[in-house]
Amino acid sequence: MMASTGPDTPPLGTPRVSVEPLLELDAVSRVYGEEVVVYALREVSLQIMPGEFISIVGPSGSGKSTMLGLLGVLDLPTSGTIRIKGQDVSSLDDPTRSRLRGDSIGFVFQQFHLIPHLTALENVETALLYRDIRPKDRRERAARALDRLGLGAREEHRPVQMSGGEQQRVALARAIVTDPLMILADEPTGALDSANAAHVLEIFRGLESPERAVVIVTHDLTVANTARRKISMRDGQIVADEHRVAVGS
Amino acid sequence: MSQLRDLLGVAWSGLRARKVRTLLIMLGPIIGVAAMVSAVGLTESAKGALQQQLASLGTNLIIAQAGGTFGSQNPTLPSDAVQRVQNVSTVTSAAATANLSGVVSLPVKGAASYYEAFPVPVRAADDNLPQVLGVPLVDGRWLNGSDTRLHQRSVVLGEGIAHQYGYLPGEVRTIQLNGVNFGVVGVLGPVALDPDLDNAAFVTQWAAKNVLGTNGRPNQLYIRSIPGTTSATAAAIPTAVNLGGPDQVSTQIPSNVLQAAAQANKTLQQVAILAGLLALIVGGVGIANVMSISVIQRSSEIGIRRAVGHSRSKIASQFLLESLFVGLIGGLIGAMLGVAIVYAVSAIQGWVTVIAYRDIPIWMGLALFVSVVAGLYPSIKAARLEPLETLRLG
Repeated sequence: MMASTGPDTPPLGTPRVSVEPLLELDAVSRVYGEEVVVYALREVSLQIMPGEFISIVGPSGSGKSTMLGLLGVLDLPTSGTIRIKGQDVSSLDDPTRSRLRGDSIGFVFQQFHLIPHLTALENVETALLYRDIRPKDRRERAARALDRLGLGAREEHRPVQMSGGEQQRVALARAIVTDPLMILADEPTGALDSANAAHVLEIFRGLESPERAVVIVTHDLTVANTARRKISMRDGQIVADEHRVAVGS
Repeated sequence: MSQLRDLLGVAWSGLRARKVRTLLIMLGPIIGVAAMVSAVGLTESAKGALQQQLASLGTNLIIAQAGGTFGSQNPTLPSDAVQRVQNVSTVTSAAATANLSGVVSLPVKGAASYYEAFPVPVRAADDNLPQVLGVPLVDGRWLNGSDTRLHQRSVVLGEGIAHQYGYLPGEVRTIQLNGVNFGVVGVLGPVALDPDLDNAAFVTQWAAKNVLGTNGRPNQLYIRSIPGTTSATAAAIPTAVNLGGPDQVSTQIPSNVLQAAAQANKTLQQVAILAGLLALIVGGVGIANVMSISVIQRSSEIGIRRAVGHSRSKIASQFLLESLFVGLIGGLIGAMLGVAIVYAVSAIQGWVTVIAYRDIPIWMGLALFVSVVAGLYPSIKAARLEPLETLRLG
């Protein structure tokens, strides 16, 4: 088969699914304080493409958390623009931005952050609320997500009745139940023992798909090295952005 | 619509998760509404028997009395006065009585000196008087057309007189009116709207004229009007009766007096309602307080919800709905509690239970309003929380 040579043809080696970045940071700065300003993030530009598996590493105070907040649209930049699928998030009102966040991003946190008074199933269902989904369908989707992570038998358990590893898997189920474009994880294995950490990491690898990006913020090098792209940060700036060949496959 | 359903579910589960806390903040609306419902209920029930009597008697009875000119001893009305008042369009029925002065009534011959000193009033009455009064007979029958046609000397006793004469129900008894024997055919029940009638003996117009030798002209009319037109009817009656002639007629609405007696103790009621209002407001402050603390305690939940895509307004609505539920359920429980208190106390005191069910939605609405206002500040506070700060990213 001959390669076509038209002007629209993507150059060799780029993913074929889509060439549009999922998320794009353009000269983004985030400043705290008013009179005495502190730069948490300084003039950062970054593109996240579908299908990427990225780790963001750096010491404490390097701007990782700020970066995570901005990537997750939980925070807005002081200057510069952030675009999700080409849409400038600063121009959106809160309901639209919240909706965009819910639709495109699945969060996983170090402390799991499950709602304590809800069961595993209900915790997963929170991500599907206010979306005009019938309760029956919502429950089915949440149950499927839990099933996929091997927690079918834990549906009616509350967070306190589950181990850390199980809680993190519930959080993962909550993150994937909306089928988001990007999974954003903050030290997902930080609160787990090594066996559970390995299991969770295994799940993260399984979440890779051509349409979806997975971003893990961590200072654990084993976790970081799982990723095919490793972004290193220091003092609010990206100091290294390494693309690596797939590890362990 | 389905978003509202989701919101209701979230708010409800938030309340259910902390049952003791929820119950505690519900105490404000519960106590407030219960206090107001029972305050009104108890003060009304204390007069319940009177109110019930008033309701059965109706407030549309008018008594018209012959006034006469100054100094005249026995003022009377025209003999066709009943027909005349029936020309007033709002009059539904009317009956006349005539005081037969100078007629001495004796239960037994031996008591003549006593009853001459303290005569029992004897009245000539129309056949329909009990119907107009709305008072049944407690024994026997009322005077009727056959008494007139057959020239029967029949007498009906008022309840008080029957008691005084020692009349036994069903007894064959003869009393003397001006020395003529009259057979007792019945006893009229107590007339709350005109107690004078309890102490009277009633004979037919025929007997008044032909046996007792009086002119039998009426001096008192009992009139029922269409409900709601009583005062206007009472005002129209003097003209209808005297038709511009010299007869003086005065009217009164006897239920007005009874109505005043049946009024609940308003001051007590108002104090209790104020106490209930105070409980509601203090309860509202409690709700605001507890909800504010709750927002801080649940900041992580708020952060999570924001992270999974719930907007600020959804978070605010969630907390506002929680306090709305507190007001709604608290108000409902309070109302039921209030009604139960009124029933219990009335049963113990032997009162006729009166509950103003129409007012209960007002008290409940008030509880709801206070709760929602109390929930406003915590809700706004919850909506303003920055998810990034509550999630403690690392």
